[in-house]
Amino acid sequence: MGAKIKLSVEDVSKTFRIRGGQNSEDTFLAVLRHVSFDVREGEIVSLIGESGCGKTTLLRIIQGLIRLDAGAVKVDGQTVTKPGPDRGFVFQQASLLPWRSARANVEFGLELQGVPAASRRDQAQKLLRLVGLETSGEQFPHQLSGGMQQRIGLARALAIDPSILLMDEPFSALDAQTREELQGELLRIQRETGKTIIFVTHDLDEAIYLSNRVFVLGAKPGRVKKIIDVPFTGIRPELPELRGDPRFQEIRAEMWNLIRKPVPLAA
Amino acid sequence: MSITEIRNVSASASLDISNPADVEDLIPPDSSRSRLWIIRICSIVFTFGAWEILGRQVDPLFMSYPTAIAHAGVRLVQNGELFTALQSSLRSLVVSFGFAVVIGLALGLLIGRYRSVEAATDWIVNALYATPKVAILPLVILWFGLGDTAKIFIVSLLAVFPILINTISGVRNVPAQLIDVGNAFAAREDQIFRKIILPSAMPYMMTGIRLGIGRAIIGLVVAEFFTAMTGLGALIVKYGNQYDTASMFVPIILLSFIGVVTSSLVKWVEQRLAPWRYTEE
Ligand SMILES: Nc1ncnc2c1ncn2[C@@H]1O[C@H](COP(=O)(O)OP(=O)(O)OP(=O)(O)O)[C@@H](O)[C@H]1O
Ligand SMILES: [Mg+2]
Repeated sequence: MGAKIKLSVEDVSKTFRIRGGQNSEDTFLAVLRHVSFDVREGEIVSLIGESGCGKTTLLRIIQGLIRLDAGAVKVDGQTVTKPGPDRGFVFQQASLLPWRSARANVEFGLELQGVPAASRRDQAQKLLRLVGLETSGEQFPHQLSGGMQQRIGLARALAIDPSILLMDEPFSALDAQTREELQGELLRIQRETGKTIIFVTHDLDEAIYLSNRVFVLGAKPGRVKKIIDVPFTGIRPELPELRGDPRFQEIRAEMWNLIRKPVPLAA
Repeated sequence: MSITEIRNVSASASLDISNPADVEDLIPPDSSRSRLWIIRICSIVFTFGAWEILGRQVDPLFMSYPTAIAHAGVRLVQNGELFTALQSSLRSLVVSFGFAVVIGLALGLLIGRYRSVEAATDWIVNALYATPKVAILPLVILWFGLGDTAKIFIVSLLAVFPILINTISGVRNVPAQLIDVGNAFAAREDQIFRKIILPSAMPYMMTGIRLGIGRAIIGLVVAEFFTAMTGLGALIVKYGNQYDTASMFVPIILLSFIGVVTSSLVKWVEQRLAPWRYTEE
């Protein structure tokens, strides 16, 4: 892992205006306040935090899908404000286009860029192989299982060869077994491609297993509460084995205490 | 047909067909396909038989019966009258329906996507939508006379609304996540339109076209009653005036046949274009 900084989020704030009804005023919801962090090249960072603390909002701001009110998002030192081929997005619901075959879904981003059909096809085939679905290219999304759809969603994001992958709870709708399988795959793919990954999850084990660092966000307004370094390096053992490691349990307990809603103390 | 369709959809949605135990228990044994077809054929034979027998008892001025209609049909085919009328009706139908499809789809896509186009047109669309269109037929005849133009105008006007309304709702119902996908991959507006909105709204557009055909046929017959006195509508009026009820039934049956064939054709195209909506097979 190089020490070079790939992505920096600098003092980002976001407030949503919520339109009032006929008789009520508009209200404002401060979702992110002064969020700053750097992500190094080739690093996997997880974002965790209670529901509604602004994880999706932050990821969409980085992608350029939502405008920020203040601050900046920089990729390789350049400010970005719009979606671009340097960032790929993997959605929670795979969000495949139902009228396209798996292959055509993978080709989507390349097609938008005007890449010729033949090289699109080659690239798609390579990615289908990477995610282990080289024989399912002609199937349509409704013929694929949830896990397969999510693999195609990942292949679609990788197809445009972004240096950063943004993933919003991509495995949360899957059963435990499929999820662990895909976590392993993601780590393998990251090793093979060297992508920088920002991964939103609610699953503490997943966060620790996948990441080099975990950013714990606090709510109302969202901000980075704590950055936790994950001490495991190199190729990790499987998650069940890792769970037995005392360091794992220690970080997990720390994270749990940070995101748990504060319990009001009795007077 | 519609009854079996509903049955299939609800069955595949609620239970696992691949599990024979479930299927045995929950689908009544008399619903097998061939059995339903036997019932259907019996019903057809019974209805036509009863019509034939009862029809013969009634004054032929008020009612006809299948064999008499068949005889009249043969006569109308042989003297070429039916063919001429059919040709004239189909020509008007194709031209006006073509207008309706082009205008309905184009305007529907724009109104559905762009607020400004909606604001510019929604008042007139709503006003016309609420008006019973045949009510303005006398006015249309004043404008265009009794020729084909009046006919084409009224048929297009009737057919355009289901196409327009369905296309608008197709565009409005494009799932927001799919638009998001386009944006996330840096699609330009025209790419979002072509690669996301258009395919996603396609099934709605086809439904609109299918409903539009029904309207167009109604419009055609009404217009032919009142205007140029050509086509199948005119044939109905002619034999009505001659108190030849059997001959009058011939164009009526042909019209319903055209309606059935065209809408099943569109339905077939619909299923080819949007296979992900029809997952039963
Ligand atoms: N477009 C929007 N307009 C108004 N409010 C919004 C909008 N998008 C999100 N919010 C609000 O911002 C807050 C943060 O939402 P966000 O989706 O980022 O949370 P999250 O951390 O991803 O939650 P979860 O873990 O449940 O996915 C929520 O209170 C939400 O209601
Ligand atoms: Mg979220």
